Amino acid sequence: MRVVLKGISKVFGKLRAVDDVSLEIGDGDFFTLLGPSGCGKTTLLRVIAGFYTPDEGKVIFGDRIVNDVPPHRRETGMVFQNYALFPHLNVRENIAYGLRVRKVGRSEMDARIRDMIRSVRLDGLEKRFPSQLSGGQQQRVALARALVISPQILLMDEPLSNLDAKLRVAMREEIRRIQKLLGITTIYVTHDQEEAMAVSDRIAILNLGRLEQLGSPDEIYFRPCSRFAAEFMGGSNILELRVLSYDEAASTLHAETGGATITLRAPRPAGERAYLSVRPEWVRLVDESGEDVIEGTVESTTFLGALVRYRVTALGGRSITVEVHNPRAGDIRREGAPVRLRFDPERLVILGD
Amino acid sequence: MPRIVNAWNGVFVLAFAVIFLAVVYPMVTIFRASFVSPETGAWSLENYRAIFLYPFYRRCLENSLFVSAVSTVLSVAIGVPFAFFLSRYEMPGKNIIKTLATLPLILPTFIGAEAWLLLAGRNGLFFNLFQKVGIELPSIYGWKGIVLVFTLQFFPYVFLMVSAALHSIDRTLEEAATNLGAGRLRVFLTVTVPTVTPAILAGALIVFYLSIENFGVPILIGEDFRVLSVQAYNEFISEMGGNPSMAGALSTVLLAVTMGLTILQKYWVERKSYAMSAVQRPEVLRARPVATLLMWLFCAGIVFAALFPFAVVMVSSVTKTSGPVMYYGQFSLENFVKAFTIAPRPIVNSFFLATVSTLVGIVFGLLVSYLLVRRRGKMSYLLDALVMLPLAIAGTVQGIALAATYNTGFIVLTGTWMILALAYFIRKVPFSIKTTSSLLEQIDKSVEEASINLGVPPFRSFLKVVVPTMLPGIVAGAIIMWVTTLAELSSTIVLYYGPWATMTVEIFQRMGSGEFGPASAYATILIVSVLIPLFFLQRVSGKDLTTTL
Repeated sequence: MRVVLKGISKVFGKLRAVDDVSLEIGDGDFFTLLGPSGCGKTTLLRVIAGFYTPDEGKVIFGDRIVNDVPPHRRETGMVFQNYALFPHLNVRENIAYGLRVRKVGRSEMDARIRDMIRSVRLDGLEKRFPSQLSGGQQQRVALARALVISPQILLMDEPLSNLDAKLRVAMREEIRRIQKLLGITTIYVTHDQEEAMAVSDRIAILNLGRLEQLGSPDEIYFRPCSRFAAEFMGGSNILELRVLSYDEAASTLHAETGGATITLRAPRPAGERAYLSVRPEWVRLVDESGEDVIEGTVESTTFLGALVRYRVTALGGRSITVEVHNPRAGDIRREGAPVRLRFDPERLVILGD
Repeated sequence: MPRIVNAWNGVFVLAFAVIFLAVVYPMVTIFRASFVSPETGAWSLENYRAIFLYPFYRRCLENSLFVSAVSTVLSVAIGVPFAFFLSRYEMPGKNIIKTLATLPLILPTFIGAEAWLLLAGRNGLFFNLFQKVGIELPSIYGWKGIVLVFTLQFFPYVFLMVSAALHSIDRTLEEAATNLGAGRLRVFLTVTVPTVTPAILAGALIVFYLSIENFGVPILIGEDFRVLSVQAYNEFISEMGGNPSMAGALSTVLLAVTMGLTILQKYWVERKSYAMSAVQRPEVLRARPVATLLMWLFCAGIVFAALFPFAVVMVSSVTKTSGPVMYYGQFSLENFVKAFTIAPRPIVNSFFLATVSTLVGIVFGLLVSYLLVRRRGKMSYLLDALVMLPLAIAGTVQGIALAATYNTGFIVLTGTWMILALAYFIRKVPFSIKTTSSLLEQIDKSVEEASINLGVPPFRSFLKVVVPTMLPGIVAGAIIMWVTTLAELSSTIVLYYGPWATMTVEIFQRMGSGEFGPASAYATILIVSVLIPLFFLQRVSGKDLTTTL
């Protein structure tokens, strides 16, 4: 089912938790609301679930405005951050809860529960109580309970945040697998950009209650529209530039940053001042000098196996993060070593003032 | 969710109405009465002048403060080492001692007083035994007896508070002090004692409060030593021209003291707590054999002294008697036969009233807790304060206020069983709300929301998901409410009338008229009725009394 939000605002006292957010989520999409804590993503999800009434705007499921539909009649399946399993019911009874409400017949109920237990891989645990399950298992029960009622929309509020790192990766693949299998419209809330990129068809970045950017994971990653989006999604070096001149023919930008002059092949900025976003993996260490090569000194070296992360002091004392992937043994720069940096011109992003 | 708030709004209004009619309005009534001159009927400060100037009344206030202070000091003196020995040292039968030490909390204090009268009163077992060998025991009557009973019954509060504090201090705290170079004694004095001080104060405050509001002990054992609660009762009930305005003034003074203590408790003690979560408990030490023996003798001795009198009551109930004369050694079931056949009504009354008020209390407590925890608004703070109010009111005062208010006027309840049920309900409801609130706080809101999301309307979600989750806790709370209601004397004695006498009233009156045998029979029935459900509760939930109290 398609979900449309039109100009949604939600105010708590003086705080505009959600501020004029409009979105359209296509049928069968895996859509993620991404942002730091306090950005309004959970509030927005709860507005969609019906636990909050928006102060302004419309929530539309399909063609129907659901603002006045109470939460228990919205037919959404929701997975809560802490799973919210009913502690007095066992796994099977937890999953059956929504079906009982819907007065599903005995044989159909058995079949649906059996299928669901199989697809979330909980076989053999039907009689266990929530307190006897591991975090990952509880997560599966929560998911099964939400999905077994065949909701039109699946809502997930940071479902993986209580799991350890390894399990998180496994579970997000599982969630994505099941979502694709059922083709269910899913709205997913997270603060973890990597998780968002891994599972989503589309992502909405929220900041201070407002919609910052909307797009597919790669669109947002490669073309962030703001400093916030660039920094939140993947991390980035942001350099403030004052444009000196721009050579149209060579697509070369002369600009001043931190007292140093740099020459870059880059798209033309819109105004006098601009921000340059350079992701750490887009900076290369080079040997030769040249017009667009920046000289610097290694401030710290962090060896992480598959990659080495350097903090390099350059451009008048500025710290630039550089990541060299797949490093070669013997080619690790030590602290204090002079280095030359070059930004990958294809990928530089110039952000407006 | 605006459309579902409405049902809860009704509950909100109902809760306010109940509290207003059962607590606020009666309190205002006696407060107003206290400013009326008994002679002229005009407004005056005469009653208060009398309390503070006439030696007779002033003595009551002084006596109340005196016995409470002495009992508090003794309870701390016993409770603190008791807690320290039991939580830090190995000793034989440790768990049994701990469990038994909590029993006095639940056993009715006035039965404790009765027991000491049977032991050391005129004609008491010990009194007679010692007299035979020519030793005159010191009199149990008066303030010494009151203090004795209070101390033995209330020291467990200090013990429990201090134990909890001792268990919630991380061992690393003491280890840090040792690491910094402090010796054992220094660690004890500079780290251990300061960290449990708030708990000691909290326990002391509870003991002081319970002592000053108590009615049954001083009236049974105090004789000429009059305290506030007893005198307020005397003024109110006196057949030779009761003086309701003087009773009102004495009640108001007692109310001021208990309120003050409650406020102190809330704003001072509750804030001063160093309890840590997720602690590594300090090591349990093994002392040298002589020291272990001394500690064991102290702890076991105290528990014995606290519980032995109740055993005496139970023995007395099956002993042949004639009036105040007990023929110990000659057994007879006559007292029980009489209680069950000739006068079973008090037993039925007690059970009926306790059950009704507990059931109403649970439902009301559940609804109000839900309002307080889940639907917090501006008015919730007021409601919260109001429903907790009965905790700060002595039973006698509560009884006098209800009797004075619903004697005449638009609602007349005096002389019905309902006024007793109302008094019990309102006195126990703060407890019910406290237990259910803390249970509710442990249940994440999302559990209800999950149910709503799955299609169950909010109120039904509450019944289907929240209530069952809380059920074990609610049952435990109900049992405690039921047994403490069963043992209620101080408001009952003011509010009951003939056919609605309860077991507690029966015990009180028979003690007064020297019928020790029947009194002991009712007391034994009461003790057993209190202990069986608690034993059952402990078995089923595996929970200690200490966690539910």
